[in-house]
Amino acid sequence: MIAAAWICLLAPLGATLVITLAGMRISGRTAGWIATTSTSVSFVAAVVAFAKLLSENPEDRSHLSTAWTWLGTDQYHFGLSILLDPLSVFMMLVVSGVGSLIVAYSIGYMDGENEERRYFAYMAFFVFSMLMLVQAGNLLLLLVGWGLVGLSSYLLIGFHQERPSAIAAAKKAFIMNAVGDATMALALFLLILHTGSLDFGSLIAISSSSSLVINLVALGLLGGAVTKSAQVPLHTWLPDAMEGPTPVSALIHAATMVTAGVYLIARTHNVFELAPNILDLAAGLGAVTLLIAGLIALVQTDIKRVIAYSTMSQIGYMFVGVGVGAYSNGMYHLLTHAFFKALLFLAAGLLIHALAGEQDMRKMGGMRVLMPRTYWLFFVGGLALVGIPPFAGFFSKDPILAAALAHGTFGAILWVAGVVGTFLTGLYTFRMLFMVFWGEPSAYAREHHHVGPGTWSREGPLVMFVPVVVLGVLSVVGGWIQVADFWTPVSNFLEVSAPPLVTASGTQEAISSIFAVAFGLVGIGVAWAIYGARRAEVPSAPGVQSALEHKLWFDWLYDRAFYRPSVWLARALYRWFEQPVILGSLREIAAGAKESGSLVSRLQTGLLRVYALAVASGLAVLVVVFISVR
Amino acid sequence: MLGPDITWYLAISAILFSIGVLGVLLRRSPLIVLLSLEIMLNGGNLALIAFSRQTGEGTGQVFAIAVMAVAASEVVVGLGLIVAMSRRRLPLDVDRLRSLRG
Repeated sequence: MIAAAWICLLAPLGATLVITLAGMRISGRTAGWIATTSTSVSFVAAVVAFAKLLSENPEDRSHLSTAWTWLGTDQYHFGLSILLDPLSVFMMLVVSGVGSLIVAYSIGYMDGENEERRYFAYMAFFVFSMLMLVQAGNLLLLLVGWGLVGLSSYLLIGFHQERPSAIAAAKKAFIMNAVGDATMALALFLLILHTGSLDFGSLIAISSSSSLVINLVALGLLGGAVTKSAQVPLHTWLPDAMEGPTPVSALIHAATMVTAGVYLIARTHNVFELAPNILDLAAGLGAVTLLIAGLIALVQTDIKRVIAYSTMSQIGYMFVGVGVGAYSNGMYHLLTHAFFKALLFLAAGLLIHALAGEQDMRKMGGMRVLMPRTYWLFFVGGLALVGIPPFAGFFSKDPILAAALAHGTFGAILWVAGVVGTFLTGLYTFRMLFMVFWGEPSAYAREHHHVGPGTWSREGPLVMFVPVVVLGVLSVVGGWIQVADFWTPVSNFLEVSAPPLVTASGTQEAISSIFAVAFGLVGIGVAWAIYGARRAEVPSAPGVQSALEHKLWFDWLYDRAFYRPSVWLARALYRWFEQPVILGSLREIAAGAKESGSLVSRLQTGLLRVYALAVASGLAVLVVVFISVR
Repeated sequence: MLGPDITWYLAISAILFSIGVLGVLLRRSPLIVLLSLEIMLNGGNLALIAFSRQTGEGTGQVFAIAVMAVAASEVVVGLGLIVAMSRRRLPLDVDRLRSLRG
């Protein structure tokens, strides 16, 4: 079982090394198949580990395997260890399963790109990093994985290195994530200082410290989670990250990496439960994010950005879930979200691929005629996202709302936000769907629709289409593995790792489901009236619209608050310090050396006899000194 | 021990060395300068051998042979330089060869 976990972790790393070392000796397509094979091996290994884990008693389902002591001082020892328990095996399944589908899809999507090999090496490296994050046996290794996913995210966002906007987006993602990494590192320092260990098992030892320390540790961990999961106020990198290739957005910025924050909170729930204020803060930030992201998504015109804001919004739901202590509900929403959001991204990728890279929804339209199968898949993904039964989102989102309702007054506020959020979800999702697929095919779409030779249909190559169909099926049946209150195998499985703080009653489940579905349907109806049937005008509110189009000025604020002052400081220091002091002193030193050199060079007469005389007289002086001293 | 006292040998050695030094310092022809250098080296050799005999060990003689080998090599290089200079019709006068002036 432990061997399976190690294989799961190391297979993608092996693929990275093979692709990198093979270089030009293999074709891009071969590199793609190597990466796909390795992630599939990971998935099979994860399934084996999962099956073995299921055959054990629930209390014994936690295994720590240490390869060797990685970092040791006289007091602290950190092993290179992996932890296999329900929570990590759950994430392993999501990461390697969705990962292999998306990597396989990439073979078709990236076909003909210049540097496919580099892409697949990065992709396999990302899967390795993410598995490292979720399998890490202590917080230090988790931080290593945390940093590595940030790195691979940076590399993949900036994959099109000839596009300045891609490079800018990559840098933005990396720098903003560095803020979260830093707060997390500070939290770990405090943990080491006060408990002397970073093992998950000894997190509870922090309870003997002062409440200030506990709050600071929880706040630091939350900082990391908020940044990685693109929650307000550190969310601005995620929409820009859509500069990366679409499969990258599907894998990293929808299904796996951005949900790492949810995983982190569930994993370190011991600390958060000692700091309930911080846990409430997490839930509050989640609620704010799901509303803000839903609102901004209403005015976006780039199809990938709409889905990106929708991702932020859905992760907001997950934060509400883990924030009120319903860890398994949050994790379950993570699973179904991985299915339907990857489905939406990959279906959008099919469109973008067929339309020669165009992402502007205003230029699309009527794609239902041109790509009917993609339309139906997108439709399924949209219904799952809004949470209409019997699609996956319904079964995972509504328990989160019910758990919020069971959380008291604060929970009721979160619940209202969540229900309003479902209205926004229905509105922006179906605005996108109607804009892209309904109506007559636009002139642009007719002119550019082209899927290349040798493909089996007008939708795209088979290697791209099959993963989308698999995800489509999962978006339907993925929700049926848990029906809250009646049949809860997922929660039962996960509760060993993270026991829930709240339990919703049947009434609360029912109320949440009714309201969420009703508001979702209203959202879909409004979208239909405005964008589908065109019976109503888009409501005109210039102030609101301008605010939303400027993404509520977060970017502007950060530009003014951080970027400009640092540029100003750098310029001032250059002008008033570097130029006069450092560069000036260099000039002076050089001039001084030159001057003294020309003085000394006068001693070099070029006359051999002068040199000989100098040697001889020096010798004579030495002889006299030796004799007289003796 | 037969023969004169070691002082005599050392005196001769010092005289030879001084002659060499004066030759190096005063003469202008590179050929003579080289020759004077050889005299200096041989003055040194004489002192080495004298001391070797005084102490009864062979070390000084070994050194003297090493010095001879170095001297032979040095002469090869030096004479080679002088031949090259005369081929290029450079003046054979150390006072006029001063292109290394700083």
